[in-house]
Amino acid sequence: MLERTHIQSSGFRNTGEPGAYDGFQVRLRQPNYRGTRLSLLAGIDITVDGETYRSVDNRFVVGGREYTHAELLAATEDRWEVGTYMTVLIKRPEGLQAGVHDVSSEIAFRHPYFPPQFQPTFVRDNRKITIII
Amino acid sequence: MSGFKYGVSLYSYTDDLGTVMTLEDAFDHVAETGSTGIEILGEANIAGYPEPSSAWLDKWFALIDQYKLEPTNMASWLDTCLTLDHTMSVEEGAAQVAQDLRLADRLGFKFIRPKFGVIDEELTPHPIWEATIERNLDLANKLSIVIVPEIHSPTPIKHPVTDAYIEFIERTGTKNFGIMIDTGIFQDRPLPYWPGETPEIRAAALSFLDGIKVPVEHLADVIQYVPFIQAKFHHIDENLHDHHIPWEKVIPMLKKLGYTGYLSSEYEGVRDPWVAIEQVRRQHCLIRKLEREAEAAQEKLDA
Repeated sequence: MLERTHIQSSGFRNTGEPGAYDGFQVRLRQPNYRGTRLSLLAGIDITVDGETYRSVDNRFVVGGREYTHAELLAATEDRWEVGTYMTVLIKRPEGLQAGVHDVSSEIAFRHPYFPPQFQPTFVRDNRKITIII
Repeated sequence: MSGFKYGVSLYSYTDDLGTVMTLEDAFDHVAETGSTGIEILGEANIAGYPEPSSAWLDKWFALIDQYKLEPTNMASWLDTCLTLDHTMSVEEGAAQVAQDLRLADRLGFKFIRPKFGVIDEELTPHPIWEATIERNLDLANKLSIVIVPEIHSPTPIKHPVTDAYIEFIERTGTKNFGIMIDTGIFQDRPLPYWPGETPEIRAAALSFLDGIKVPVEHLADVIQYVPFIQAKFHHIDENLHDHHIPWEKVIPMLKKLGYTGYLSSEYEGVRDPWVAIEQVRRQHCLIRKLEREAEAAQEKLDA
């Protein structure tokens, strides 16, 4: 079972080797009420302590597969299921400092059954989560 | 007098499922309402959709058996704007519907609700809907499944979208296509603002959330095409007073029109953990009470 918030505490950590971190990662719970074709995502931006990491620069791990932003938007037959998280991989030399960070997520969904003026629809979350090491 | 059938859609437990509730917990809560039917969303509640594992299938049939619930409707989607630059063709749409019909049949469902992509704010379905469905009528017939797109706010009953579905039924003569009514169309008082919504946003784009107030009398025009109803609601207080849906009008009208299909709860309100469980129970208590009162009134008239 996952935390209720979209942004998950567990999974928030630096990537790469200690002393030579090359970025960090954060898990997001699928916030839509139905599992979603990845191609119905229009992008996922992450903001940490005021600095925004744009979807086009991020990578995404869903169901054990890694996608670039462009690959995500083209994946019509792969789904992000309800009750699962995706891991967003973000490049940042030296990673993030150990401690509590202010993290925001903005997921853009294209819902085909919504009228054109609601395309895309943004789903946002914000909370404080902790990098341990 | 034969009564309604009662069910619950697992949509009601959105956000609880996967965070504080398992599929088995959900079966227990549905069965505990006294319901006979369970409605699911294919892409939400079937792990591995559209190809669940044999382990998942075993679990599904065990739960159906243990809780003695009948699979009612499986919600599905026709994602017409597949990518930013590729719109679903009729062939792709027909394959999607066929896939969902076969999956629904495998799991024991009698209805599927395709949610068509739309092209305007009136919720006019994408034009591929008609050929997509027509190509699947024989399969639906073979599997004894009825395909039921919904009439959902802001689309009222008296509307070209509804008319087009009825014309399709009349033209094809099919028994495997009908109209699902979502009771949100009868909402006659405003919903509270959703998180992030402002009065300006409501007025500019979301005025239907104030309620489109379809008169319940309009049901008479379409009831012959309605084999399934989603009992959408948003909040029922401890005095069994629904703050938005006028059940005291809806239920007597459905009784008068002789409706004997499912009322499948769709709670769509505050998403704090476990709130939905109690809300669904209140709705069942309220509707069963109104049904008994309507039956008693009818018996008095008959006497």
